[in-house]
Amino acid sequence: MRFLVYLFACCCSLSTLAWERKGLTISGSIQSDMLVPQHDSGTGAKKTGDFLNNTYFDLMLQSKYIDAGTRFEFLEYPLPGFEKDFEGWGVPNLWLKGKLGKVELTAGSFYEQFGSGFILRTYEERSLGIDNSLFGGRVVVKPMKGVTLKALSGVQRRYWNWNESLISGADAEVGIEEFIPSLQKSGTNVMLGGSWVNKYEKSDEKIYVSPVYRLRIPKFVNAWDVRLNFSRGPWSVLGEYAQKSDDPSYANEYIYRKGSAAMISGSYSGKGLSVLLQAKRSENMSFKSTNDVSKAIGISSAINHLPAFTQDQTYALAALYPYATQLADGEWAYQAELGYNFKKKTPLGGRYGMNVKANLSYVRAIDRQFHEGDDLVAKTNGYTSKFFKWGDQTYYRSFDLTLTRKLSKAFKLSLMYVNQQYNQLVVEGHGGTVHTNIYIADGKYQFSPKVTLRGELQYLTTKQDQGDWAYGLLELSLAPHWMFTVSDMWNSGETNLHYYQGLVTYNVGQHRIQAGYGRTRAGYNCSGGVCRYVPASRGFTLSYNYNF
Amino acid sequence: MFKRYTYLIISGICLLLASCDHIAEFERLIYEKPEPAQRIVLLEDFTGQRCTNCPKATEVIEQLQETYDEALVAVGIHGGPLAFAGNARVVGLKTDIGDEYYNHWNLEYQPVGLVNRRTPINYPEWAAAVKEELAKPAPLSLDGTATIEDNTITIHIKAYGTDGTAQGKLQVWLLEDGIKTLQLMPDGSANQEYIHNHVFRTAINGTWGEDFSIKEGETVERTMTQALESVWNREQLSVVAFVYNNQGVQQAAKIKVK
Repeated sequence: MRFLVYLFACCCSLSTLAWERKGLTISGSIQSDMLVPQHDSGTGAKKTGDFLNNTYFDLMLQSKYIDAGTRFEFLEYPLPGFEKDFEGWGVPNLWLKGKLGKVELTAGSFYEQFGSGFILRTYEERSLGIDNSLFGGRVVVKPMKGVTLKALSGVQRRYWNWNESLISGADAEVGIEEFIPSLQKSGTNVMLGGSWVNKYEKSDEKIYVSPVYRLRIPKFVNAWDVRLNFSRGPWSVLGEYAQKSDDPSYANEYIYRKGSAAMISGSYSGKGLSVLLQAKRSENMSFKSTNDVSKAIGISSAINHLPAFTQDQTYALAALYPYATQLADGEWAYQAELGYNFKKKTPLGGRYGMNVKANLSYVRAIDRQFHEGDDLVAKTNGYTSKFFKWGDQTYYRSFDLTLTRKLSKAFKLSLMYVNQQYNQLVVEGHGGTVHTNIYIADGKYQFSPKVTLRGELQYLTTKQDQGDWAYGLLELSLAPHWMFTVSDMWNSGETNLHYYQGLVTYNVGQHRIQAGYGRTRAGYNCSGGVCRYVPASRGFTLSYNYNF
Repeated sequence: MFKRYTYLIISGICLLLASCDHIAEFERLIYEKPEPAQRIVLLEDFTGQRCTNCPKATEVIEQLQETYDEALVAVGIHGGPLAFAGNARVVGLKTDIGDEYYNHWNLEYQPVGLVNRRTPINYPEWAAAVKEELAKPAPLSLDGTATIEDNTITIHIKAYGTDGTAQGKLQVWLLEDGIKTLQLMPDGSANQEYIHNHVFRTAINGTWGEDFSIKEGETVERTMTQALESVWNREQLSVVAFVYNNQGVQQAAKIKVK
């Protein structure tokens, strides 16, 4: 309770603080998610404390030449499912940025991504408990139009500590069209990029492959990346290749083998039609900033990130079996997406038009032929792999079809069908292959400019895992302030459990408060192919967001 | 201008070359002599029949036992989320005490182990930890007998103080070897013929043992009994006794039940 009063007092004082004067801007945000947990014998949810909450307070000062920022985090009694080291509170992020003409210098905490993130991506994803920011220095130089050069060095944040390894890197991107006038005239953009990242770690970790043989772990791990992006009018093509030097780790079972990632992505977007085609092959690309096994397990300490090439589902049942990128084992991943807008007043478009979207994702194991026998040295080579050959296992396959159509001036309907094949063993470490068919209807009726009612009906059928699921949701919006939501997710296939939830949301100005009560199921919460296991919970929830 | 960029690029290449750390095949392994045992080391392996990586940890234990023989006492504690309680068709090895231990040590994943009750560590780190513990002299030695009569196991533990004073708890457990039942394997397959060894069955003198103290030159003896359960194979039983305190396990012993 004392915490709530303190939070409210902070907000009141901050609302008077947001100002802009003499070229200095102060801005920031507060996010606080709270849970009063209850024991639930049905779901196995545990009462892990009296009051749990994750609170973040960001503050940023901006001026013409200097920016500065900091973040206060209170995670001493965190929401369920985060790793134990996540607990704590303090000011983990602090930074100062100087902007001097073509040069930008940052000291302190910073986030960075080179290319698609194959060799470096530091980011914050609060729902997963990820903040792998670097603490050190970065310089960004734009010596001429179309050229961006970056260099950085720092240690990586792991919850309330920094890992001991030093991460350094450089990146260059050149817009070729700036140097070839004919390309510019034809509206063609060609971007050539290259990056390098180095990890230096003098590890004390002693890893034995047998009781009498210890591994010599490299102190340096290097990774590089090249990419070419071509775009003209509605067309765009990106090709990227990255490689990482020998990096024996817990994730790859201590093999001395180069890692690699290759991707090609093409898209078209114009005149109501959008097409995306992507293919990616990766192997042995788990790249962590620590050799300490206990710290490297889980989702922390990642230096890089490989996108999942699968649809990030937002509907509850479609998101029940989400895919997580297999960085260490590698994968062949393909994705095709097609979107088309049928125009108004056409036979298929009807009076208000219709949007059709289809997505096909397929993720397959790569070929890996492991060295057999008892030769310990041969075993450290790991395996051989033919580049284009698939492995035996399908990791994930999904086909989605979504139709969105306005049926009357007040009523809009979306219908979605999803067919999934999910390798639960590979993603979660247990179970087998789960095949699902999911049917979703989402309707929105606008009674008046201020009153809208939205409803969802979803059904998932499967013969595996926990069998069938049904889901229903009703959401009443009373603009501009109120929203009332009730939902229930019912496992009709095995447990007969209901995961009910009721939420009231109030928006005023830059403030958003949401209070509710409900049950959540145990499962995986994923974002961009990175997943966190969240145990079942039940209780009262309160969320507060404020931007100033 | 160009000169400056050339210097910059050359410096970058030099830096890149300096940071290369290729380890040739013949340099990857470093031989280290097995550690002469100053004491018997206890390895608590928190395992589960639904844990696909757990057979890899068991392989590490087998290798360590081959090298260190009786100087290493391993116990497979089936507890935590991946342990299996069993059903009408499949024998489960999970115990409530195993769950209690798993939760007590704040474990987050499996397989994970405690070597002489130090920090929880993963199986690639066990060999190093076992070596380190073996090198430490023990303040006492443990021995004993365990015999079955009329469906009761009588355990007699004898401790000798060898160095200073040791204070803490004496814990006595019952283990069973050679249990053939389900284990999920690293490739995801379900192996119904898997042989589980050194499986924790029960804590004979309470979940956390009993108070214990011994001085140098002193002999302390304890006797306790345990009723035999019908599911246990009397031919495959053994008793593990160990003394532990806040500094970890001080000494351990494994005694075959006869």
